[in-house]
Amino acid sequence: MYYVAEINEEACVANKGCRLCIMYCPEANCIMMNDEKKVAFVVESRCKGCELCVVVCDAAKHKAITMQDR
Amino acid sequence: MSKEKIVINPEFWDIIPQDYRDLVDHATYGKSDRGWKDVGSSTELIAEHSLCAGCPESIAFRHIMASIPAPEDTVMVGSTGCTSLVFPMVAVQNIHSLFGNQNAIATGLKRALAYRFPNQVKDVIVLAGDGATVDIGLDMTLQSWFRQEKFTTICFDNELYANTGGQESGLMQKGFVAKMAPQGKKFEKVRLPEIARESGCAYVAVLTTSKPSLVERVVKQAVLIAREIGPTYLQIYTPCILEIGKQSMEGLQEMRDSESAGERFKFREFITPEAQAFIDDMNAKKKADKLAASANN
Repeated sequence: MYYVAEINEEACVANKGCRLCIMYCPEANCIMMNDEKKVAFVVESRCKGCELCVVVCDAAKHKAITMQDR
Repeated sequence: MSKEKIVINPEFWDIIPQDYRDLVDHATYGKSDRGWKDVGSSTELIAEHSLCAGCPESIAFRHIMASIPAPEDTVMVGSTGCTSLVFPMVAVQNIHSLFGNQNAIATGLKRALAYRFPNQVKDVIVLAGDGATVDIGLDMTLQSWFRQEKFTTICFDNELYANTGGQESGLMQKGFVAKMAPQGKKFEKVRLPEIARESGCAYVAVLTTSKPSLVERVVKQAVLIAREIGPTYLQIYTPCILEIGKQSMEGLQEMRDSESAGERFKFREFITPEAQAFIDDMNAKKKADKLAASANN
């Protein structure tokens, strides 16, 4: 079982220019932009489950990221 | 060296690993305006590294790799420590040196590159931890600055020897008790930025990696000044969350706390008048180019 981040596409405000989770994720190429939908998505095989993205997203009151057991 | 010199035979394209193909197709080599804004929509020059979950050092690594002005013409010199776990995963030429002699290696490398490629710009960037830069390699670090060697030295300052379990380092703050330094540090944190300024560095900056735009500006300035003027030094706070007893998601707040007013990593930079004139000149040219481009449109 893995502990990974998941992004709620409806709550994600990447279309307004938000890049907080992408900026502060310690893993490279882990949170990427879906350029068509203009939302961020998590590459689950690279996520180490540190929850830093949840912290920065919640601090900005977007609350778009939650942690999931897989 | 450029990407064009390595051309993959189309016959073999389907057996090339996906990560490599992503780098060929989507990485930001050869773009003069590359920066952290490309992160997320392009392939980064660092891949699945083996650092701990939530390690601020890996955030710093990502920001620096996104900010280097010309990755295809850059050679990085690393040293023993957590950084040496990442260098095998970095898509920029790099050399692993013995513990402490990274600035001596970079000196030889820079001179050899200048001799071998006299008409090309080659950047050399040293990236080492505080143990290699300040304790074990202080001699080599200082001597390279005295000799005015033209490369950038970046120190990842986590204020102790994190990789070996938390021994005391010269950059540890006074009074700090670590796992393998139970009596606490007896003397002050070494003031290496000030020492660097007095030793002849053209540009010195102290920062944390909590603001990617600041890291980008500082890294670009440091590399460009090192090309033209003289040695540059950056000291970046990358706390070891394991050794200071934090959770994986608390690294960012730790960095923000330590850069508030009066704290030890409050952003400060020293720049010589010559280097400042060079940067002003470059910014003026950039502005003129932008104006000309918008006028043409």
